[in-house]
Amino acid sequence: MTARRGSSKQSRGKSGRRMKKMEEVKVGVFLSDCGGQIAKILDFEALTNFVKGVEGVALVARGSEFWRGEGLKTIVNAIKAKRVNRVVVAEAVPKISEVAIAKAVEEAGLNPYLVEVIDLKNHCAWPHRDTPKEATEKAKAMLLAAIEKVKLQEPIEKAEFPAVKSVLVIGGGLAGMQAAEDLADMGFQVYLVEKEPFLGGLAAKAVRFFPTDDCAVCIQSPTTDLKTVAQTSRKCVYRSGFSEIPNLKVLTNAKVVEVEGGPGNYHVVVEQKPRYVDEAKCVACDLCTTVCPVEVPDEYNAKLTKRKAIYINRPLVYPPAYAIDAKACKFHECAKCVAICPTKAINLNQKPEQITLNVGSIIVATGFREYDPNVIKEYHYGEYPDVVTHLELARMLDAFGPTGGVPIRPSDGKPAKRIVFVQCVGSRDRRWNPYCSSICCMISLKHATMIKEAFPDTDVTICYIDIRTTGREHEYYYEKAREMGVKFVKGRPSEIVHDPATNTLVVEVEDELLRRLLELEADLVVLATAMVPSEDAKELAQILGIELDHDGFFKEYNAKLRPTETKRRGIFICGGAVFPKDAPTTSLHAHSAAVKAAKFLMNGKITKALKVAVVNQDYCGNCQFCPVTCPYGAITLEPKGDGHFAAKVSELICEGCGVCVGTCPVGAIELRHLKPSQITAQIKALLSVNGTSKPLVLAFSCSECGHAAVDSSGMAMMSYPANVRVLRVPCTGVIQVQHILEAFKAGAQGVMVVGCKPDGCHYEVGSQKAKQKVELAKALLGAYGIEPERLEMFNLVFIEGDKFAEAAKTMTEKVERLGFLQLA
Amino acid sequence: MAEEKTEKTPNIDFTREITSRLGGETITHCYQCGTCTSTCPVARTAEERYNPRQIIRLALLGQREEVLKGDAIWLCASCYNCQERCPQKVEVADVIYALRNMAIREGNIPAIYTEFAAGLTSEGRIVPISKFLEKKRADYGLPPLKPTGIEALKKILAATGFDKIMFRKEGTNQ
Amino acid sequence: MTSYALFLGCTIPARQPHYELAARKALTKLGIELIDLEGMTCCAPPPLRSIDLETSLAIAAYNICLAEEADLNIVTLCTGCFESLAIANRLLKEKPQLREKVNKILANAGKEFKGTKEVRHYLQVLMNDVGINSLKQNAVKPLDKLKVAAFTGCHLLRPSELLRFDDPERPRIFDTLIEALGAKSIPYKNKLRCCGGLLRGYADDIALAIARDKIVNAHNAGADCISTLCPFCFLTLDLGQMLIKTTYKEEYNMPIIHYAELLSLSLGVEPKELALDFHKVKLDKVLEKIS
Repeated sequence: MTARRGSSKQSRGKSGRRMKKMEEVKVGVFLSDCGGQIAKILDFEALTNFVKGVEGVALVARGSEFWRGEGLKTIVNAIKAKRVNRVVVAEAVPKISEVAIAKAVEEAGLNPYLVEVIDLKNHCAWPHRDTPKEATEKAKAMLLAAIEKVKLQEPIEKAEFPAVKSVLVIGGGLAGMQAAEDLADMGFQVYLVEKEPFLGGLAAKAVRFFPTDDCAVCIQSPTTDLKTVAQTSRKCVYRSGFSEIPNLKVLTNAKVVEVEGGPGNYHVVVEQKPRYVDEAKCVACDLCTTVCPVEVPDEYNAKLTKRKAIYINRPLVYPPAYAIDAKACKFHECAKCVAICPTKAINLNQKPEQITLNVGSIIVATGFREYDPNVIKEYHYGEYPDVVTHLELARMLDAFGPTGGVPIRPSDGKPAKRIVFVQCVGSRDRRWNPYCSSICCMISLKHATMIKEAFPDTDVTICYIDIRTTGREHEYYYEKAREMGVKFVKGRPSEIVHDPATNTLVVEVEDELLRRLLELEADLVVLATAMVPSEDAKELAQILGIELDHDGFFKEYNAKLRPTETKRRGIFICGGAVFPKDAPTTSLHAHSAAVKAAKFLMNGKITKALKVAVVNQDYCGNCQFCPVTCPYGAITLEPKGDGHFAAKVSELICEGCGVCVGTCPVGAIELRHLKPSQITAQIKALLSVNGTSKPLVLAFSCSECGHAAVDSSGMAMMSYPANVRVLRVPCTGVIQVQHILEAFKAGAQGVMVVGCKPDGCHYEVGSQKAKQKVELAKALLGAYGIEPERLEMFNLVFIEGDKFAEAAKTMTEKVERLGFLQLA
Repeated sequence: MAEEKTEKTPNIDFTREITSRLGGETITHCYQCGTCTSTCPVARTAEERYNPRQIIRLALLGQREEVLKGDAIWLCASCYNCQERCPQKVEVADVIYALRNMAIREGNIPAIYTEFAAGLTSEGRIVPISKFLEKKRADYGLPPLKPTGIEALKKILAATGFDKIMFRKEGTNQ
Repeated sequence: MTSYALFLGCTIPARQPHYELAARKALTKLGIELIDLEGMTCCAPPPLRSIDLETSLAIAAYNICLAEEADLNIVTLCTGCFESLAIANRLLKEKPQLREKVNKILANAGKEFKGTKEVRHYLQVLMNDVGINSLKQNAVKPLDKLKVAAFTGCHLLRPSELLRFDDPERPRIFDTLIEALGAKSIPYKNKLRCCGGLLRGYADDIALAIARDKIVNAHNAGADCISTLCPFCFLTLDLGQMLIKTTYKEEYNMPIIHYAELLSLSLGVEPKELALDFHKVKLDKVLEKIS
């Protein structure tokens, strides 16, 4: 850029920011010879001399190790003495050394991102130990690349983001209540939002939970010191003091309708439907129901009984206040309850309310529900009243329930003396839900033993494909059931038939073990129907911006590595909403989510290094590829003020993977920690010196699995030729077709792209995107008359170090066979 | 139960043979739930002679002889109840067809099928129409029957090797 | 006027011309033109599928090709023919690899399956092309005293994923068409169960036992007759009753009548025009209840 008279010498780099005139770059290069070991292979004198001759290098030191002890002090002193302002370390202990060095560098007063650590041992000396001269030449190229990269690196600062110490929990069942309680105990402000008028979810209906046969409404009681509640480990919800925890606000009849913002600072709009009963005034005296003229089937109690338009569910969980069913109530046409209420708690004029909440994180605990088996027509659910589901049976077995604890035949109210359970209804079924719902075997065993205990002369049979009792203490249930005389038929019933003459059901099944066809007579048939996500899951997932898996449950980011997390930082999922589970596992999951939700909010602020992507708004053409591609939803479109839109990266949410960079067709985005100039510089440097008789091959490797495979091939002392040079990128998703072409132009005879497995990319989609780029590049190469086989992608993991070495060798051989590539 | 019927180590060659045939592709989906047998009208009428779940089990355990030489696979009435209700979408009836196809190729063919095949190759119909009845059609007011495409049919049968399947001389490979 | 290529198959022309007669009369009266194409063969039903599935698919496809060339949809009377042709039509339309394979075979006969036509059963033609209202209007002889045990049979309903004719667990089309004529379609035990017909010739004893079950169930439910759609079902249940008499020493006198015959009678065709002497079990009881 020519400076015009009078104008200031300020240049705009591609980052679109005004750059300070770059201060003079002084690179310090520290070479560790690993206790002299790798010096036996690499000629350190030659390396030292080579490095000294590179422009910008102010200091070269050699030692046994530099990431701790005296070696580290050398670096620190050099920084403090202002002899260097960029650091390159060739260290023999990968990864840990990076962290230790960065920390020390920062303490010494230099920005820790101005450091580049390379591994001359595992990436050079070990794998090429049979060809020491070639190894040394490669080491020169590696050092040159690191130096050129770090010369172009600008400091990366840290930023602080607000972290509101408040959490929203969606769903007031077992999981939601436990998570809410944990967080409230930790001092967070918690909002527990429940769509029904009452808390409890499935727990309130299930009577008991296996494997301990606890009452289902028993929870761990809060540890806050509440005057009226003695501290014990657990209590029924209604007397646990749960609702009295000062920083816990429970909103029933409420649903989340809008979520904006990001982790640490979400703005949520909750819509609360009117209860028409003031919770603060209602004393649950039940007078209102005595005058209410409306009766409707009680869905809560499997329609086995009726309730009024104003009602309360039993067993009582929370809140201890009645609610009005707006669909059934006649409102001002009647208003009899208003008149009779002794505390004037009823207000028929109540309106829906919109409540705005500001929270730091969100936990989804919306649970699961029973699949409606009416689609499985051969079982006639919904047609024959005596065919019921587990939840309906549970209501019958509940002493609070519509039949006072007695299993009856809904068709005529008589006690059911012959009961047949049918397992896997709509589960493990390719026509409906292909997965196993995990808990239905245990539920059937629970119900069967409950029935046998209370009514020993009832005939109970369970028809099953497999009995799954996999959890702790579960097998004993199966033993107990057999001992109590529950019969087991291995066979899946093909049909349930009704005999109108005797009003009996007949279950047609083959007992496979006997190889005999049976027709089991039953008063009551209980379908162990599948467990599916809450009906609101899809809508909620859209509002929150998180994904559902292929079975419709909320998708956990990675069940082993990041349980309860979702793709969206700050939004967590737990309990049955993730997959059906029993009570102890639900509790576990909920407590786990609570910890995760709290962890990053603890300091009241989130500190993050801005190792992120940044958009040059002038270049952005608003093609909208990047917001769609970003695995974290970190990119939004913002108005530029001139009527146009441009992409904007959220610094808080961006993970710095670079998939957006690889997607942008005009190069309007770059990573602060890997600019286009840095990629180019490294390509040139790595290919600047060959030193072998073989053609140069450049391998772009991601920093995750790809690099791990390269590491391990060296650590395991595999051998591959030194003409293979590795260029490390955060994620292979950052690679653009032009990088590949650049490599060929710079002298690579072959190019490898090494990344994670397609479904194991650490940044979700990067590896798959890279594959697309490679395919495109191959086509382009072909069009230029270059053999597409010179370019290949490899998906490897850490334990496949041998495959990397193999790939490097094969690639080299292939390129040798193809002959020398002369680009005009 | 004769010991020679069950091998010590059942191998899966038979399974692979079945899954590579038209109709047999889904046999490995089976998890032995027994729905097919329970809903089968033949099994319900003649339990000892026919049990489709059992046939699949024997096949998956490599019992080639028993399955292909046995009487059971000929007892399916093609009502498709099993295939309709199978929770793993095993095409049970089609698997039985595939097994029959294999059995016939090994020379196990019930007499009635030979008759059907003969009708097809001579007249293009598995149930030949008597000349008498053909003439009577006019009496009933029915239009005369159009000629069948027996020539085209013969070409199709030659292309698929139908003749070779059906009319192989016993004990030879011709 | 809606035109269809009529596919007769083997069994109907060979054994049950009364079915063909009744169907032609009824459909023509209702405004459907039935065109007889040259060159049709057996549809390749279960007996042929048992010998070779690939050959059967090719034969079925060949017949569809004839209709494609004549630019006509196919209508069948026999439900077995319907199943054979409809399955082939759907499989070849939806699976390109299979289509390629079959077309290679068909090329030998100078044919190519293109997937341009539909295969229908005459019940579908009645429902969709004629319509229930038109049917009701034309049913001059009401059958309202008749209690019919409707027997759809297997091959119209299953495999439902390929045939998509009606709900396999709760079929309504046949019952609706019977009731449109004024008759009552009564419930009876195991209404949807197979007649066992295809076992005839190999395991006659089992076939007969299954057939007998059906007759007994219809009888116990108070049916005046069993109405069929498939010639095999007809044979098994009609001729079957002669065998039941000799084997089980039981006599039920349950008339078996094709829907096409009921339809024709209801449309005013005289019984003597319908070749009813082909029925082994005489239809006197049924004819009494009509008019």
